[in-house]
Amino acid sequence: MGKKGDQYEVFVEMGRDTNGEMDAKIKKKKKVKKKEMLEGMKKEMEIDDHELTIEELEMKYSTSTTKGMSSTLAAQVLERDGANELKPPKGTPEYVKFARQLAGGLQCLMWVAAVICFIAFGIQFAQEDLTSYDNLYLAITLIAVVVVTGCFGYYQEFKSTNIIASFKNLVPQKATVFRDGQKSQINANQLVVGDLVEIKGGDRVPADVRIITAQGCKVDNSSLTGESEPQSKGPECTHENPLETRNIAFFSTTCLEGIATGIIINTGDRTIIGRIASLASGVGNEKTPIAIEIEHFVDIIAGLAIFFGATFFVVAMVIGYQFLKAMIFFMAIVVAYVPEGLLATVTVCLSLTAKRLAKKNCVVKNLEAVETLGSTSVICSDKTGTLTQNRMTVSHLWFDNHIHSADTTEDQSGQSFDQSSETWRALGRVAGLCNRAVFKPGQEEIPIPKREVIGDASETALLKFTELTIGNVIDYRGRFKKICEVPFNSTNKFQLSIHELEDPLDLRYLLVMKGAPERILERCSTIMIKGQELPLDEQWKEAFQTAYMDLGSLGERVLGFCHIFMNEKEYPRGYNFDTDEMNFPTSGLCFAGLISMIDPPRATVPDAVMKCRTAGIRVIMVTGDHPITAKAIAANVGIISEGSETVEDIATRLRIPVEQVNRGDARACVINGGQLKDMTSDELDDALRAHPEMVFARTSPQQKLIIVESCQRLGSIVAVTGDGVNDSPALKKADIGIAMGIAGSDAAKNAADMILLDDNFASIVTGVEQGRLIFDNLKKSIAYTLTKNIPELTPYLIYITVSVPLPLGCITILFIELATDIFPSVSLAYEKAESDIMHLKPRNPKRDRLVNEALAVYSYFQIGAIQSFAGFTDYFTAMAQEGWLPLLCVGLRSQWENPHNQEVQDSYGQEWTYSQRLYQEYTCYTVFFVSIEICQISDVLIRKTRRLSVFQQGFFRNKVLVTAIVFQLLLGNFLCYCPGMPNIFNFMPIRVQWWFVPVPFGILIFVYDEIRKLGVRRHPGSWWDKELYY
Amino acid sequence: MAALKEKRTCAQRCEDFGYFVWNPDTKQLLGRTLDKWVYISLYYVAFYIVMSGLFVLALYVLLSTLSPYTPTYRDRLQSPGVVMRPNTYGDEGLLIVYEVNKPDSYTPLIHTLQNYLTPYNRTEQHAHYENEHCNGNKYFTQNEPKDPEQKLLSCPFYRSSLGKCSGMDNSTFGYPDGQPCIIIKMNRVTSSFRHCPILSTAPVCQGRLLVNVYFLFFKQKGEPKNLHNIEYFPPNGTFDLHYFPYYGKIAQPSYMNPLVAVKFNSLEKNKLLKIECRVVADKISADNIHDPYEGKVEFEIEIKNGTAVNK
Repeated sequence: MGKKGDQYEVFVEMGRDTNGEMDAKIKKKKKVKKKEMLEGMKKEMEIDDHELTIEELEMKYSTSTTKGMSSTLAAQVLERDGANELKPPKGTPEYVKFARQLAGGLQCLMWVAAVICFIAFGIQFAQEDLTSYDNLYLAITLIAVVVVTGCFGYYQEFKSTNIIASFKNLVPQKATVFRDGQKSQINANQLVVGDLVEIKGGDRVPADVRIITAQGCKVDNSSLTGESEPQSKGPECTHENPLETRNIAFFSTTCLEGIATGIIINTGDRTIIGRIASLASGVGNEKTPIAIEIEHFVDIIAGLAIFFGATFFVVAMVIGYQFLKAMIFFMAIVVAYVPEGLLATVTVCLSLTAKRLAKKNCVVKNLEAVETLGSTSVICSDKTGTLTQNRMTVSHLWFDNHIHSADTTEDQSGQSFDQSSETWRALGRVAGLCNRAVFKPGQEEIPIPKREVIGDASETALLKFTELTIGNVIDYRGRFKKICEVPFNSTNKFQLSIHELEDPLDLRYLLVMKGAPERILERCSTIMIKGQELPLDEQWKEAFQTAYMDLGSLGERVLGFCHIFMNEKEYPRGYNFDTDEMNFPTSGLCFAGLISMIDPPRATVPDAVMKCRTAGIRVIMVTGDHPITAKAIAANVGIISEGSETVEDIATRLRIPVEQVNRGDARACVINGGQLKDMTSDELDDALRAHPEMVFARTSPQQKLIIVESCQRLGSIVAVTGDGVNDSPALKKADIGIAMGIAGSDAAKNAADMILLDDNFASIVTGVEQGRLIFDNLKKSIAYTLTKNIPELTPYLIYITVSVPLPLGCITILFIELATDIFPSVSLAYEKAESDIMHLKPRNPKRDRLVNEALAVYSYFQIGAIQSFAGFTDYFTAMAQEGWLPLLCVGLRSQWENPHNQEVQDSYGQEWTYSQRLYQEYTCYTVFFVSIEICQISDVLIRKTRRLSVFQQGFFRNKVLVTAIVFQLLLGNFLCYCPGMPNIFNFMPIRVQWWFVPVPFGILIFVYDEIRKLGVRRHPGSWWDKELYY
Repeated sequence: MAALKEKRTCAQRCEDFGYFVWNPDTKQLLGRTLDKWVYISLYYVAFYIVMSGLFVLALYVLLSTLSPYTPTYRDRLQSPGVVMRPNTYGDEGLLIVYEVNKPDSYTPLIHTLQNYLTPYNRTEQHAHYENEHCNGNKYFTQNEPKDPEQKLLSCPFYRSSLGKCSGMDNSTFGYPDGQPCIIIKMNRVTSSFRHCPILSTAPVCQGRLLVNVYFLFFKQKGEPKNLHNIEYFPPNGTFDLHYFPYYGKIAQPSYMNPLVAVKFNSLEKNKLLKIECRVVADKISADNIHDPYEGKVEFEIEIKNGTAVNK
């Protein structure tokens, strides 16, 4: 114990550089609307408890630093403040979640349509003009579709919420507390302000605690700041900023080692972490890009529907229909424009992708978020735990005047260094012996890098490293019996221990020492090179300096190692080593080497970052960690690419002052929280625009939020990855927040839209790919679904204007929309990407719309028109072959629909009863249905691609689509030929040849679209491309 | 993204829309410059001309495959419909209600019958239609005409063969006497009997008693029973076979539907009766529940007797 004080020198310097920046949290003001809230936070943040003396504290909280509070007072305070736990963020009530499913853009469209149907039905009913109940059925179906898809969507989200919920740690936490002078264990949620608590290594800090006494207490603040460096805690006030001072430990951070007692100054939601969590819940959720796209699409549909309806309303009035009749026509046309099946298609497509992502360990909380990743143009990534393994690991060694690289991969699959040198054996021995960390028992089965260790981060790293290279370290240490040791302290900045040798005949003692490299070097007089002890002259010192600087500039923590064999004559067996007196040599030692450590990037990350780059996505690192480490890791994973320089780098290279550097030359930029604090939002925007490669270091939660907002202001769709509570406001603010499933805190998971179950950044790339694919495929599905709207609508228009017997009935339309065409439109979601979508830029949310004018116009007025012609050809064929020639049909409607006329003559003089005509009408419905089906088969084939030829894409590669076509045909046949259908759903067993009438039109659609695609491919940018490419 | 998310005011939206309608910067009208509009319009005109051409071509091919004389299929006309006169409709179907003492209540019915029978006057039908085939009770089969000018013969049906119900002797058709006539006709269907000889076609009328229970507004159906005292005209009550088959209106423009008249001589007064007249023949089905007029005709009749009510 007693390894108090600072970390090794290099880091202390950096730490101090950045001191005072955390108060940016407090001072930074944001948008005006949030100002008040932040203003409030600022006030609350003004903790002065760290500056009070213990006596003042005792006074303030009516407590005692020896006995703790009295139970009665504690009970009163508990009554006043409530339990010490974070209130779960106001979960949306289930009924609201469900209601949200019923209130999307498309859903609203369908609600309106249903209401219109009811009104039309009401008018007809009031007029006693009820020829059919179609309007009522339609209204009911529309509502049913909304409700059923709503239930489906709700179920999907419910399922993923459950996956997430299962990660919550439900074990109640215990805390050691003194009350009435008694030490006892109580549930942490019973703690109150003023309680005297004891914190030991391994505990979670149960509330914000003002430290009274501490012994070697180190706290891991990473969940709060993202800093991987453990912070020492002690009773002395070291900084006026409560977040920087050493005598306050924060709720939810983990005590790594040591022991401390302290008085609780804040509990529950009033703790720092509680406030950050509540900040997250104060940040509004952004609408997903896909929701915006769907709204835009609904606008188009509604506009077209009203335009068409109004046109035909006028036409009907001119023809001479009654006002109410014309009104009903108007409503029917508006409703006919509603793509009933689209809602189901979109929901199913999104959930298919969500499922596909879940298989790849991305759980999506909100179905619409599936697509958001595809639109993402900026990823703001946290460093610790997301890009890195969040585990200190030995990365480099310097011995024999060479820098050797150690294997830092998670699965030890990387290259190791040459271990044959004698120097390495000495260095390894020092590293293994001068180390107090031990593995927790019972972990033999677990691979070494994943084992849990008792000890601080660097000792852990060294322990694992030696375990991997030397073998069983505990056994090894057993062979070198430890005689005594001097733990690390901030004055010495070294740690040493003295051991007996392995060989029982060799009676020398071995002294091993590690510590800050320059301090170690001071104590050395020789250096070991290739197993030989050489005098440490200036040349070697320079070599040491170079290596030390090199390693330091990599953002690594460097330790020096040295040893000495003590002469058995001077120090015989049983020599009484006194660690206070230091009655043994602590200088003139033999320098063995340097070992440097870093929290290494995850193996998959550089590749993933590269893929993001090729996909046109900017990866910005936003971390609470130190700038040098952040920059080193950024360079390591490719966020700062090779050859990119920051302004400072250029200044150093050209040996000119920073001010003279042309900022435009610097691709990369590292901004720390302090600089950010002084920047206006415009300056930040400029910086983001000027430097493609950005690293933000030492940022506070609010600053993360500001960075996200700034990116959004620049028109980017922003994904934020993070795991800590500190990330949660940014996660919430982002267009898509991605939390880590394993390392992530609950607050982060709650705020996120997507959770990476394996914490693997590379999964994001999969998500991007899937998101882009689903955007493309949704476009195809929508185009497919929209097309048939026209052949469904034109029969009605012709019916109104030319008064032919109705060619296509309402129930039949519903069957097309909701039965036969659903599967094919969903099957387009399985379509492979046309081109390498990961080499394209992210879509421009303002220009690349889901449904653009070209798509709607091409589907409606070209393909849809061809389909209508096919339907009418088939309709007139069926009519003519049954006795009604086309010209006779015109104007036939009033006779045809008169139920009291049983003798309507056809073109051959035959007389038809009403029912016979009705069944003939059903026959027409069926042939029109069949025509649409046949054309839709052609349609689904052309929709497989937007640019490539279908032959290039492969006809049968999408097996689901082939199945869907077969299914569509079978279902169509079933509807036509199942007995009883005529009287239930108005399908007639039609003659087989009528199936083939629309085939030429189907072929025409296919050929026409191939020509279109050929033109688009051959002449990019031409008039043809602009008008016909969707 | 932010720009898209901002809540735009109505004025801004209108302004945006105004820009969409006419953008002075790019000289774009509704998102296109004028020449672009011309191009796209021409493209669509061409597209629709081609499509309409194809459609017309398709219809031309279709029509050229059709026979001018008989329809290709008679899928919906497996059995001919049966209709009657007078054909006045109530809420549920054919309904004849009149009061014996009030001529106003039955004059329209009589007019319907008179009008209906006018084409059957001997003077309306040319004598040369008569030929030897029209005598025997045998199908009058002819060969389909070779050219459109050639017309096929058809047998005349004279009103006189309806006897008491011809309206020639008694122009009131027995309505004032409470003994009304109705006329039953079978719809024309081409060639329908060519391959399915009918042994006899005769409408048989059966009645069901519908008791009017006025205070309950409730109608009760009785068991079907044979009506007594019915006269059929022509006396055998059949459609003679020589009127069949029918060759369609182009080949046989002079075709007259044979008729059967039914005279109800003793219908119960002041009772709503449901009467069904069914054509009895091979291959004519009268059991299609979805078509009440196929092979049969159903109607309700109530003859009100003013004196009876007054009693």
